Amino acid sequence: MNATATTRIRFNPLLPYWAVLQTDLRQTLRSWVYRLWVFVCVLAAGGFMIYKVGIQRELGVAQSASVQTAHLLSGTGVGGLGLIALLAVSAISSERSSVADAVLCRGISRHQYFLAKWHARVFVVVSTFVVLAAAILTLHDFLFDPDLTAAGGAVAVGLVALMLTVIVSWGVTIGALASGTVTGITLFWVLLYGGLALLSLLPVSYSTPEHLLSLLKNILKSQYDSSRMVEFAGIALTSSVAAAAVGLIGFSRKDV
Amino acid sequence: MADKKSGMVVETAHLTKIYQNRQIALNDATLNIEPGAILGLLGPNGAGKTTFLRLILGLHRPTAGYAKVFGQTMHPNAADLRRRIGYIPTNPQFPKGMTPITYLDYIARLFGIPRDSRKPRLASLIRAVDLLPHSGEPIAYFTPGMTARLAVAASLINEPDLLIWDEPTHGLDIEARRSMLELIKTLAAEKTMILSSHNLTDVDEVCNHASVLNKGQMIFHGTLQDLKGRIRKNHYELDLEGDQKAITKTVAQLKAMKEVVSATLRHRRLELKLTDEVSNTAVLAQVFQTLCDGKVALVSVRSVGMQTEQAYLDLVEREESRGFTRLYAPAEAA
Repeated sequence: MNATATTRIRFNPLLPYWAVLQTDLRQTLRSWVYRLWVFVCVLAAGGFMIYKVGIQRELGVAQSASVQTAHLLSGTGVGGLGLIALLAVSAISSERSSVADAVLCRGISRHQYFLAKWHARVFVVVSTFVVLAAAILTLHDFLFDPDLTAAGGAVAVGLVALMLTVIVSWGVTIGALASGTVTGITLFWVLLYGGLALLSLLPVSYSTPEHLLSLLKNILKSQYDSSRMVEFAGIALTSSVAAAAVGLIGFSRKDV
Repeated sequence: MADKKSGMVVETAHLTKIYQNRQIALNDATLNIEPGAILGLLGPNGAGKTTFLRLILGLHRPTAGYAKVFGQTMHPNAADLRRRIGYIPTNPQFPKGMTPITYLDYIARLFGIPRDSRKPRLASLIRAVDLLPHSGEPIAYFTPGMTARLAVAASLINEPDLLIWDEPTHGLDIEARRSMLELIKTLAAEKTMILSSHNLTDVDEVCNHASVLNKGQMIFHGTLQDLKGRIRKNHYELDLEGDQKAITKTVAQLKAMKEVVSATLRHRRLELKLTDEVSNTAVLAQVFQTLCDGKVALVSVRSVGMQTEQAYLDLVEREESRGFTRLYAPAEAA
């Protein structure tokens, strides 16, 4: 082994962020958790669709596209929560004391590392959901009584995507602050399902996830209150940013 | 290379790390590392060596005290300071599915090295560490020697001023270890280095400074010569050859010398301890003369005390035996 000749390097301070973002995107797409989530969603959605088409064709019971799509969109989002939580929490916690060491001892700040992980996981989950939802919308429009509208579809998908963004954001934060993946996932599942159960107790006038999901069939037909949608979007984005802020501060004060 | 104000590459003061109020991993460690120093960080398992290195790198936050690198306080977000450091952990971990080329490219990007600099640099490093034939193979199938060479390349990709290598010869075969030591000697000419090692022979060969940690306490920091100077002086081992009766008789004569504190014969190896009160050259001349008169041939002679290993063991042993007194005279230990 020989020492190599040296020349001074000019560093690009944004490159570490991109490096972690790209690597995490690639590794998440290759992970078994992600593949299982997609596989389960596709399998469940396909089965549900075949069943409903069967009812319509064989029994002659008309099926409204908006109702079936609402069921599938909320099912795809909520049904896969366990795996989505696993994807989010493991982003940082699974690398602690191993690969994170080899990354964080280089020229990257904790802030950049956290942001890259957060953005990568949010992007993967949300974009996968949007692709699946677009396929569901398109197929349902052909297969069932077409009462869907493009604007309603976009708002409905955006609504569920925002919910997933909040969940992934808090998941990544808890994973960054927890001492291990198992602790993080346990804590997150308790908070997630406990929080959802508590929110469901609130009156209908509140824009809780459960209430909004029950309105999806109307939203898909463009029958929605815009101000309520904007209000929820505001809450969801604020909650996501708050999660990231907590994660950024907490992670930069933690040992890895 | 170093900070202009203090002139030190690494400066720690009262550096302490307590994990979750349960375990004191490092206790009040204060040291300065000058530019060009090759520091051997010694200590038994669990002494706090890795914790010390992780604090210097900003991977851990100190419970008390501080660590300054290049004159600035190290903290988890000090990316600009870490750009000047090359680190090899004890057991380097690599992301799954990467080859040496993709891994070094990733590490170079983590340092913020732009494409036009990093591509030629990673190519020359792969060549330098003899991984050219394996540059496209997955790292997961690499031998420990190949992994160590890749870790060396990764630690040099940012052209660091300070190298921190945690057990660089750990798990290497004789040839790879020799190659690693030669590389350290080459790098020592232009870098400041901290080498954590269990292997005292390695430290003896390549380091000019040493720090000894024991149970989280820094019990010595100074030059390697200082460390060796602390140990028992005038302690020699002589391998003898000749008639056994003549050897026994000569050893009896040596024991009778007042300058000889003890003379122990085990088979044909004589362990000789001389008094510190007179010049050792004069006493040794007398010893050799006695051997010559007794027709005993001398095969080899070595100074036992001047081995780093002996110095280290003496230091740790002395520290262990001090008990509560270490509370009142901490300066004595260092």
